[in-house]
Amino acid sequence: MDKQRDFVLRTIEERGVKFVRLWFTDVIGTLKSVAIAPAEVEGAFAEGVGVDGSAIEGLTRLFEADVLLNPDPATFQILPWRGEVDPTARMFCDVSTPDGQPAVADPRNVLKRTLAKAADKGFTFYTHPEIEFYLLKSSKLDKSGRPVPVDSAGYFDNVPGGTAHDFRRRSVRMLEDIGISVEYSHHEGGPGQNEIDLRYADGLTTADNIMTFRTVVKEVAIEQGVYATFMPKPFSEHPGSGMHTHMSLFEGDTNAFFEAGAKYQLSKVGRNFIAGLLRHAPEITAVTNQYVNSYKRLWGGGEAPSFVCWGHNNRSALIRVPLYKPSKPQSSRIEYRSIDSAANPYLAYSLILAAGLKGIEEGYELPPEAEDNVWNLTDSERKALGFHPLPASLDHATSIMESSELVAETLGEQVFNYVLLNKRREWNAYRSQVTPFELQNNLEVL
Amino acid sequence: MSGSTSRTQTPLTALARLGFANLEIAAKQTAAFTPEQRDVFGVAADPDQALKYLNQLFERDAGLADSIRTDLPCLKNLVRLLGASSGIAEFLRRRLEEVSRLISGEPVLPNEHRIRQEFARDLRGLNGDEAAVSLRIVYRRILSEIALFDLSHPEPLSQIEPITASLSDLAGATIDAAIGIAKSELGSDAKLAVIGMGKAGARELNYLSDVDVIYVVEPREEESPEHAVREASELARRIVSIISGPLPEPALWELDANLRPEGKSGALVRTLESHLNYYEKWAKGWEFQALLKARPLAGDFDLGTRFVNGVAPLVWASASGSSFVESVQRMRERVTAHIPASEKDVQIKLGEGGLRDIEFTTQLLQLVHGQTDERVRVRGTLPALRALCEFGYIGRGETAAFIKDYESLRLLEHRLQLSKLKRTHLMPRQEPELRVLARATGLANSAIELRNTWLEIKAEVHSLHERLFYRPLLSAVASLPEENFALTSEQAQARLAAIGFKDPAGALRHIAALTEGLSRRATIQRNLLPVLLQWFAEGADPDHGLLVFRRLSESLGESHWYLRMLRDSSGAAHRLTTVLASSRFVGDLFERTPEAVAWLENDSDLEPRPLSQLLEETESLISRYSTEPENAVIAIRQIRRREVLRLATASILGLLEISHQGKALADLDTLFIQSMLSIALASEAHPSDFEFAVIAMGRFGGAELGFGSDADVLYVYRANDAEQGQASAEAVISRLNQLVEDFQLPFDLDINLRPEGKNGPVARSLDSYRAYYSRWSLTWEAQALLRAKGVAGSKQLIEDFESLADEVRYPKNLSNSDIREIRRIKARVESERLPKGADPSRHLKLGRGSLSDIEWLVQLFQLQHAVTNEHFRTTSTLEALAAATGAGLVSTTEANILRGAWMMASRCRSAMTLWNSKTSDVLPTDRAELDGIARLLGYPNHSATKLEDDYLRATRRARAVFERHFFEDQTP
Repeated sequence: MDKQRDFVLRTIEERGVKFVRLWFTDVIGTLKSVAIAPAEVEGAFAEGVGVDGSAIEGLTRLFEADVLLNPDPATFQILPWRGEVDPTARMFCDVSTPDGQPAVADPRNVLKRTLAKAADKGFTFYTHPEIEFYLLKSSKLDKSGRPVPVDSAGYFDNVPGGTAHDFRRRSVRMLEDIGISVEYSHHEGGPGQNEIDLRYADGLTTADNIMTFRTVVKEVAIEQGVYATFMPKPFSEHPGSGMHTHMSLFEGDTNAFFEAGAKYQLSKVGRNFIAGLLRHAPEITAVTNQYVNSYKRLWGGGEAPSFVCWGHNNRSALIRVPLYKPSKPQSSRIEYRSIDSAANPYLAYSLILAAGLKGIEEGYELPPEAEDNVWNLTDSERKALGFHPLPASLDHATSIMESSELVAETLGEQVFNYVLLNKRREWNAYRSQVTPFELQNNLEVL
Repeated sequence: MSGSTSRTQTPLTALARLGFANLEIAAKQTAAFTPEQRDVFGVAADPDQALKYLNQLFERDAGLADSIRTDLPCLKNLVRLLGASSGIAEFLRRRLEEVSRLISGEPVLPNEHRIRQEFARDLRGLNGDEAAVSLRIVYRRILSEIALFDLSHPEPLSQIEPITASLSDLAGATIDAAIGIAKSELGSDAKLAVIGMGKAGARELNYLSDVDVIYVVEPREEESPEHAVREASELARRIVSIISGPLPEPALWELDANLRPEGKSGALVRTLESHLNYYEKWAKGWEFQALLKARPLAGDFDLGTRFVNGVAPLVWASASGSSFVESVQRMRERVTAHIPASEKDVQIKLGEGGLRDIEFTTQLLQLVHGQTDERVRVRGTLPALRALCEFGYIGRGETAAFIKDYESLRLLEHRLQLSKLKRTHLMPRQEPELRVLARATGLANSAIELRNTWLEIKAEVHSLHERLFYRPLLSAVASLPEENFALTSEQAQARLAAIGFKDPAGALRHIAALTEGLSRRATIQRNLLPVLLQWFAEGADPDHGLLVFRRLSESLGESHWYLRMLRDSSGAAHRLTTVLASSRFVGDLFERTPEAVAWLENDSDLEPRPLSQLLEETESLISRYSTEPENAVIAIRQIRRREVLRLATASILGLLEISHQGKALADLDTLFIQSMLSIALASEAHPSDFEFAVIAMGRFGGAELGFGSDADVLYVYRANDAEQGQASAEAVISRLNQLVEDFQLPFDLDINLRPEGKNGPVARSLDSYRAYYSRWSLTWEAQALLRAKGVAGSKQLIEDFESLADEVRYPKNLSNSDIREIRRIKARVESERLPKGADPSRHLKLGRGSLSDIEWLVQLFQLQHAVTNEHFRTTSTLEALAAATGAGLVSTTEANILRGAWMMASRCRSAMTLWNSKTSDVLPTDRAELDGIARLLGYPNHSATKLEDDYLRATRRARAVFERHFFEDQTP
C-alpha cells in the first residue's frame, strides 16, 4: 500500500491536483462522489473518510451510523476532462462499517463476495460488455415531448464530420487515458445511437470500468455540447440500449467453457452455466433490467431477447453462443443479451455469475437450443418448445424476484430488501401516471 | 529372575541391558560378535533394528563386513545410524558404496561451504535424470552426516539450532544444485531467486519438512516480463521434478510454493514488481506474517535480497493496521484448528502446548513490539526469543524455560522424522516405539517416563504463553519482585490493544488497581491476572469485563472463599471472565449480588431453582416478617434478582437449555407476584368474601419470557358487594404495584391486554368479565385470552376465570367475518404500531416475519380449531404451532421456518438485554453491539454481518409463510 500511497501523494503535489474525488456506487448503480482537498488525502488512506450513510440511496435504512470510504490508491487517475486549469483526480473506494467490516450495502462488495465464491470453486469470471447509448442534442424534449437525436445514421454508418464520430474518438481517447481498453466503437442501429465495447477483463474490473465509462461518456457529451443517455429505451420506434455481455469462466489459464470436440466446443461447465442462467433468468431480471423503461426495450421487438432460451449464434435468443473461432480456444464464451445499459453492473454481474454457478453446482441439464428466430414463432409454438417469456414489466419482475432464494442469498438480505422496496416504489409511481398513450386513445373516444 | 542372582549376568541379561527387545533373536545373531563389538549396540536407539540392518549390509558386502567389524569407532557410527533411522538404513542398503566414507572418522556437522562443494563435485559433468539421481544421493549422504553428528552428540538439545541451520543450508544448496541442472537442461540463464519461507526462511528446518518457497524472476535487459515469467516457470517446474519427481532414487521432499500470492491459483513465478504490487494491494494480514521469515534461499541472491528488503516494511506496517487484532485471533486459531480428533492426544506440533503454540507466542510478541523496536525483528524462533528477552520484553527465567521446551519438542520431532525419514508430528502410541524414542532423544529412560515428560512440557508451554505475554503487563504498573525487568506502559498498552482492549490505558489502570499493595488479595490477583486478562480478551467487551471484575473484587475484598475460588478453581474464574466480558446485564447483577460469584464453581448452583422450593423460601420470609413486611419485601426483591442472575449466568454459559429459559423466567415472575400479592392482601383491608387473582397474559401466560420482558397480566376479583370489591381490588393492585417496584432490576406489570385496553378499568369482577365477553364478542379479546393463565391468588377464582376464558377463546363457530376482522386488525397493527421511522425488517416484535406475525398466525389457527381439537388448547406458541402441523394446516417445512424465526427473534431480544442491560425491540445497527449479541447467541467472533443476514433471511421466509396462510383463504 505504501508505495501506491506515496505515488498518489507525490502525483497530487507534482500535478498540482486541486481536488480528489472519492468514488463509490449506491445500490441503484449511481456513481457517488465525495470531493476532498489534497491535504485530506493522507488521512483518508489511514482512516477512511466518514460519510453520512443515510444520505446514500440504499444505505439509508441499513446504517444509522456513518460509513467509511476507503480509497484504493491503485485506482488513482487524473480525470482528463477537467483540463489542466484545476486538475482533479479520482479514486474508487471500498465502503466499510466503522468497525472495518465491508459494508453489506456496497454493491462492489456484493460482487467481490460472489467472485470469491466462484474463486472457491476455482473459477475466475471474465466479462466483456458492449455498451449502447444514445447521443441527443440535449436533455430537453422537443415540442411533441420526444428526445432529439444528434443524427439519423444507422448501424456501422460512418457519419462524415458528424458529431458522433468526433464524439467516439474523443471518448475512446479519454477512456484510454484513464486506463480502460476499448475494443470497438461504432454507430448503432438507431439515430444517434452508439456502441463502445470494453476489452475482456475480470468481473470486478469490468464493473468499475462501466462506472467510469458512463461518467466519461457523459462528460465528453457535455464538452461537445450534446447529451448522452443510457436510458434503456428512449425512442419507441428505435432499438433500445442494451449492454450485451460476453462472459466466460477460467480455471487458472484455461477456459472452462471450452472443450475440444464437444458441440459448439462448449464444455459441460459451459452447458451447466447456461442452464443455470436460463433457469434463474426471470428471477434476476429486476436487477439486470431495473427500470420501468427497461421493459419497453425488452418487449419492443427488434433484437431484444424476450424469451428464455439459448441458441448458437441466434440473435433472438436470450443467451447466444457465438461462432467459435478454431484458432482461439481461450475465446470460448457466451453472451447474455437481456441486460441493459442502465443496470448496476456490480449487482447484475453478481446475479448472472451466481445463476451460472448454481447451474454448475446442481448440474442443471441444458435444454434444447433455439434454432429459429424466436420472435417469428407463435405463442403456442414457443410454449411447445418451452421458451418461457421474461417478466413483462418491472412489477412482474419484482414479484418473481421476491421469492428467489438465489437472489436473496447473492445480494445479501439487506440489499435484496432494499432493491425490492425501491423497485416497488418506482412501479407505484409509474402506475399512478396518466400517459400520453391513454390521453390519445381514450380522451376523445370515451 | 530373583534379585539375588542379578549380579551374575546371563548373556540375555546383557543384551537386555544394551536395550535389545527380542533377546532370543539378538543372542543368535550377535553370536559371532566379540563382547566389545556387541556392546556397541548400546548406543543404538533401536538395537534390534540396528542389528537387523547391519546383518543385511554385511551379507551384501563381505569385505565391508570385515573392515567395519574390526574398527569399533566405525561400527559404532554405523550402529547409531541404523538404530535411529530405517530411512537412512534403506538408503545405505541402496547405496552400499556410501557406507565406508560416511562412518569413518569423528562425526562433524557439515558447513554450507562444504555442502556446496560436495554438490559441485558430484554433479560435475552430469545432466538430466542422471544428475538428479546424483543430487538426491548427495543430499541423503549429507543428511546422514548431519544425523550422525546429531546422534553422537552428548547433549543433543544444545545442538537443535546448529542442526536445523545445517539442514536449511542443505536444502538451499540442493535447490541451487537443482537450478543448475535445470538451467543447463533448458539452456536458460533466467535470473531466478528462490525465497525461503517458513522454517526454510528462518533457518530452522526439520529433518523432513516441506520446504516453503516463493519464486521471483527478473527480466533480462530487453526481455518482456511475460517471457521471463514463462521461462522461469518452466525452470521452477523442472526444479520440482528434479527434487521430487519419480526417479530411481526416491524423492526428497515437497517444494511447496503455496504461500505465494494468490496461493494455489496464483502464478507460480512473478517478477519482483508484480510481487510487491500484490503485497501492497491485495495481501491479507496472515500473508504478511508469513513474510516475517522470508529469506533468500537459493538462486540469484541479489534479487532475493531485494525481494526481502522490499517486503520487510510491509510486514511491520501490517501490525499497526486496524485488522491486526483480527489477524492475531486467526493466527491463534491456526494453533488449535484442524487437528483430527484421532491425533489430538499425540500431536507434537499443533494444539495447546505444541510447537506452533510457541511459534505463535513468539511471533505475536515480535509483531507487537517489532513495530517500534527493530531489534526484535529476527527470523528464527530461538533468536527471536533471545532478542525479546535481551531487550526487556519477556523475563529471563521464562525465556530459558520456553527455549528449553522448544528444543525438547523439536528434538522429539527430529528423532521421529529421522526414524523413517517421513514427515510426521505425531507421538507414537505403542510402548515399543515410545521406548525407542526415549532412547533416541535421551529425554527419558522409559516409554512411560517419556510420555509424562512430554505432557509436562506441553503443560508448561501452555502456561508460559500467559507468563510471557500477559504477566509482563503487570510489571508496567506494579513492582513484581520476581521479575527482573519491567515493560513501559506504552509497551504494555500495545500488547493490550493487540489482544482487543479498546481502551488499553483504562485497562492498565484497572490492572494497577487490582494488583497494588501488599494485601493477600493483591498478591493473589497478581498471580491470576495474566490468565484472566487472556480470558477477558476472548470476550466481546474485555474493557467492561475488566472494569466490573475490579469492582467485584473491591466489594468482595478479602472474602476468604472468593480468593480461594479464584486461586483454586480455574473453571470458575474462566466462567466469571466469560460472563463479565459478554454481558452488562449480568455484570450489573453481580455487582449487586457479589456473593453469587460463588455459584460459578458448581454447575448445580447454576441450575434453575424449582418454583416450589423458592415459594417455600418466600413464604417463610413472609411469615417471619409478618409484623414488619417491608423487610420481607426487600428480601423477596433480592431473591428475584438473585434468581434472575442465576438464570442469566447459566444461559450465557450454555448450562440452561433455550427451551427451558422461558418457563424458568415465567416461574420467577409467578413467584414474585404470588409473594408480593400475599403481602398486599395482608396489608389491605377487604371484605371477608373477597377473592382476587392475577392472570398471566401474552408471553408470560405462554411461559415464553426472555430477559427484560414485561409481565402482561389481567386482574380479576369476586365479592358480593360489587362496589366494595372494586375498591378493594384497586387498593390491592396499587399496593402490589408499589411492592414489585425494583429500581435495580425493573419489573413491570403491564395491563394493556385487558378488555377495552387503556380505557378499561384496571380490574374487573369475574361477573363483569363474563358480561363484557358475552356482550362484545370481539375476536381480538378472544385472541388475547388464548394465552391467559392464572398465576397468583384464589385458586377457585382462577379456575372459574379460566373456564370462562375457554368459552371465549375456543369459540364454537368462528364466522368468516370474525376471521376477516382478525386479518384487518393485524394489517392495521402492522402499519400503526410500528414506531415512526423504525425499519420493519429489524423490528423483533412487530417487524416483517417476526414474533407477532408468527403468533397471530398460530392464534388464528387456535381460534379456528381449538374447539374441536384439544391440542390447540395451549398457551404456548410452539405447542400450538406443533398442533397446527399435526393437523396439517402448515407443512413441516413451513412449521420449521416459523419456529426458526420465532426462536431467533426471541433469542435476539433476550441476548440484546443481556448484552447491554437495555431492553429494545429493534435489532441494532451498531457493529460492536451486533458482534456482542451474536456471540451470546453462540456465533463465532466477528459475526455481526452474519447475524444480520441470518435474522433477515429467517424472518423473510417466515413472512412468506405467514402471508400465504394468514391473509389468504385456505380451502380445506
